[in-house]
Amino acid sequence: MSEVTANQDSAHAAHEHDDHHEQSWLTTYIFSQDHKMIGKQFLMTGIFWAFIGGILSLFFRMQLAWPNETFPILEALLGSWAEGGKLSNEFYYALVTMHGTILVFFVLTTGLSGTFSNFLIPLQIGARDMASPFMNMLSYWFFFAASVVLLASFFIQTGPASGGWTAYPPLNGIRDIAINKGSGLGFDMWIVSMSLFIIGSTLGSLNYVTTVINMRTKGMSFTKMPLLIWALTFTAVLGILAFPALLAACGLLEFDRLLGTSFFLNNIVINGDLLAYKGGSPIIFQHLFWFLGHPEVYIIIFPTFGIVSEVLAVHSRKPVFGYRAMILSLGAILIIGYFVWAHHMFVTGMSPAIGKVFIIFTLLIAIPSAIKVFNWITTIWRGNLRFTPPMMFAMGFVSLFVSGGITGVHLGNSVIDIQLHDSYFVVGHFHIVMGVAAFFGMWAGVYQWFPKMFGRFMNETMGYIHFWGSIIGGYMVFFPMHFMAGVPRRYYAFDQFQSFNNFQDVNVFITLAAFLVFASQIVFLINFFYSIFRGREMTEDNLNPWGANTLEWTTPVHPGHGNWPGDLPTVYRWPYDYSVNGKDFIPQNVPLEEGEQEH
Amino acid sequence: MGTTILAVLAVVLFFTIIFLVAKAQELSSFSKDADEHLEKASDLQGKLLFAFLFIGFAAVAYAFYELGPRVLPQSNSLHGDEVDSMFNITNIVAMLVFVLTHIALLTFAYLYRYKRNRKAYFFPHNNKLEIIWTVVPAIVLTFLVFRGIKAWNDIFDFETLQDSEQVLVFEATAKQFGWTLRYPGMDGEFGERIIDREHISQINELGINWEDPNSLDDFMANELWLIKGVPTLARLGAQDVLHGFYLPHFRVKMDCVPGMPTQFMFTPKYTTEEYKEILSHKKYWQKINTETGNPKWQDFQFELACTELCGKSHFAMQRIVKVVTQEEFDAWAATQTPYYYQVINPEANPAKKVVVDEEVIIEELMDSVSVVTEMQTVVAELH
Repeated sequence: MSEVTANQDSAHAAHEHDDHHEQSWLTTYIFSQDHKMIGKQFLMTGIFWAFIGGILSLFFRMQLAWPNETFPILEALLGSWAEGGKLSNEFYYALVTMHGTILVFFVLTTGLSGTFSNFLIPLQIGARDMASPFMNMLSYWFFFAASVVLLASFFIQTGPASGGWTAYPPLNGIRDIAINKGSGLGFDMWIVSMSLFIIGSTLGSLNYVTTVINMRTKGMSFTKMPLLIWALTFTAVLGILAFPALLAACGLLEFDRLLGTSFFLNNIVINGDLLAYKGGSPIIFQHLFWFLGHPEVYIIIFPTFGIVSEVLAVHSRKPVFGYRAMILSLGAILIIGYFVWAHHMFVTGMSPAIGKVFIIFTLLIAIPSAIKVFNWITTIWRGNLRFTPPMMFAMGFVSLFVSGGITGVHLGNSVIDIQLHDSYFVVGHFHIVMGVAAFFGMWAGVYQWFPKMFGRFMNETMGYIHFWGSIIGGYMVFFPMHFMAGVPRRYYAFDQFQSFNNFQDVNVFITLAAFLVFASQIVFLINFFYSIFRGREMTEDNLNPWGANTLEWTTPVHPGHGNWPGDLPTVYRWPYDYSVNGKDFIPQNVPLEEGEQEH
Repeated sequence: MGTTILAVLAVVLFFTIIFLVAKAQELSSFSKDADEHLEKASDLQGKLLFAFLFIGFAAVAYAFYELGPRVLPQSNSLHGDEVDSMFNITNIVAMLVFVLTHIALLTFAYLYRYKRNRKAYFFPHNNKLEIIWTVVPAIVLTFLVFRGIKAWNDIFDFETLQDSEQVLVFEATAKQFGWTLRYPGMDGEFGERIIDREHISQINELGINWEDPNSLDDFMANELWLIKGVPTLARLGAQDVLHGFYLPHFRVKMDCVPGMPTQFMFTPKYTTEEYKEILSHKKYWQKINTETGNPKWQDFQFELACTELCGKSHFAMQRIVKVVTQEEFDAWAATQTPYYYQVINPEANPAKKVVVDEEVIIEELMDSVSVVTEMQTVVAELH
């Protein structure tokens, strides 16, 4: 289909392009090969999953806040999973497992790189579409298939997976619902879903990297690329190298479950019966899982790094401070990120000597992360800060990334991790970075590029309400958890332990705050969907509402197939000429003036 | 039903009002000069962000004040003190970074909020600054790494600890959903375990080899008893799935892996009674426990918990832990019946034989006493 190669920019080619396919409703909205539509598909599906994952968390937060109360609505909604109006302990564990799986993979990974890589890479590098639009379409449909399988697992009799999103064997390695209800068919479906997901993700990532390397428009050298493109490219590389480890782990786990192999199992005694498994090790699964698991969190956060850099620059009317340092620090985090995985395993029985290596690399990775934070703060210093909703979320991101990231220093130091491993301190840490900061990056991106996606604006007032509800609520939910530093996570109730039972009022506080956060998201959803159809329109005379330099704002209000109706733009300058040479901003496709130096 | 409908209606009304107010605002903002609107909105949000700095710090301070006393009290092990000290040092670093970056971020938000006549300052890079804020974090983190690795090496140097004059060893085997705590008995040696179908059974889940004489005095305890000041080796295992051996007050945590024994060594500092005495001086621990009517410190117990998700009752694997003196421990151990005699082969219990013999002896003594009494009567009658 796509015979358009790099730098082909004649109107003739674009015209040819239109002639080639008559789009039906099906090929425009469903089986689209247009990167912009695919990006929106990822966004819509991501929003759907975020809603589900969020509701799940409200259910289990109710259990934690009011363990002795019954709620008829729970039984109405969940039936036998909440007999008498109280969540069963089995379903509690299914809830936390699915919440983790859904949010890490189906919301944050796809909502960030699926949405923004697809939508923005061709637009910001000046390409007509991705290198392989067909493979791009497949990447969405594999994700869709994965979604169907995972959603279906809620409706089978023994319920969905319930052995933690981390899926450790033997709890998930033996196909026996007597050991764990969710370790029957529910977990098989989890594996199938994750396998489909990984294939889809890899297809997408291959496309993104190939497109960025090969299809940049004339003049767009690597060092003239927006930081967002650098971040998205690195994200794709991270995924290509890391996800296969999880796919392999999933495969071996299913062999243990279905074929009686012993990759991860050894000397299992169930009710006095020694099973036949011999010679495997559960620790190996953990190595394979976390070999993906750690780069996964960078796969999630890198797009937000890029988005925040762009949004801060545009709305401060200043270049991002330290363009090269930002790229180098992204690269450093990428490389070091492959050497830290076993900081999740310090007290799992792994040799303590190996632990030392992982402490060093984990604390090392804090350095480029810190550089990025300082560079963002310097970006806004002496700027002229326009506090539009996307800017608010970008500012909130910096705050949350500092707050959440700094507790990574505690956890990365293994001696402290002895006490903090598998405790609420960890839950607080990763939720602030991933559960709040990463979302803020995503929302900054949605508010910023909504006009480009839909030709309309989101409502500002609702945007501000969404921001303040989320940041106040987000801190209210997760900051107190750091004080529960010695309390184990994944506990259905605390009443069996005097040591852990003194935070009941805190749990109520956290749950109420969680409802506040959820309510703020309702405001966002109303705003988002209403504005797609009835938002304030972007007009022809206001194609670049934010006054940004990057190429996506040079396309028409509703960019069609091929993005630019005429020639592809030529790039002359880097993306950050804000408040320079007497001008407020100079877009990338504006030629250099007489005597003007390239940056 | 009625209340549910009302509640739903109230929620819908709430969001409708927000929506309508927001749309009205939008109409009025964008009918005026866009730049003027931008300046007003940025002014408000900039001030709100600045206020957030102060409110946020106040909230953090309040959280420390309210929740600080509830954090687990001081460590009851020698290595635990090192864990806590690393935690406290890291806290100081973390709070410093948190406070300074937020002051910068949110003050800049206020100082540089959009003004139509303000010109932003084109400042694309500065190598000196970059170097400063690369080197300073590197120095701080290097210090934390070195100190942390040293502490880690000390804690896991089990060889040195095991050379101590006296070492208490116990075995903790986790399963769904409880702990089997095995002590080696008077001989100080555990009976060997053989993991095969011949030895493992419902009454011998550990697979202990009863042919090994060392196994005959091993006993299973209901509570975990430890001795103050004595280095203790925890030999850890799991039967079915992953579990985690966690003694919160001792800063002891190590996963229990089926098919792969793990271990941890630590030395308790205070007996339970001494620890309770320390707690009794703290305001939080002087509060009355409403359920028992006692001050919290009086009801205090050390506990063992599971800390690796193991299934539906993961949260209920509790055992009481007691730290006592050597004498108290010996007295307690003497009262424990070895598992072999309790469950495997009660008939062979030598203790039981002693009791039987005692009964026989007493019986015979009584017989002798009555014989003697009879003889005395006869003698008296003869005289």
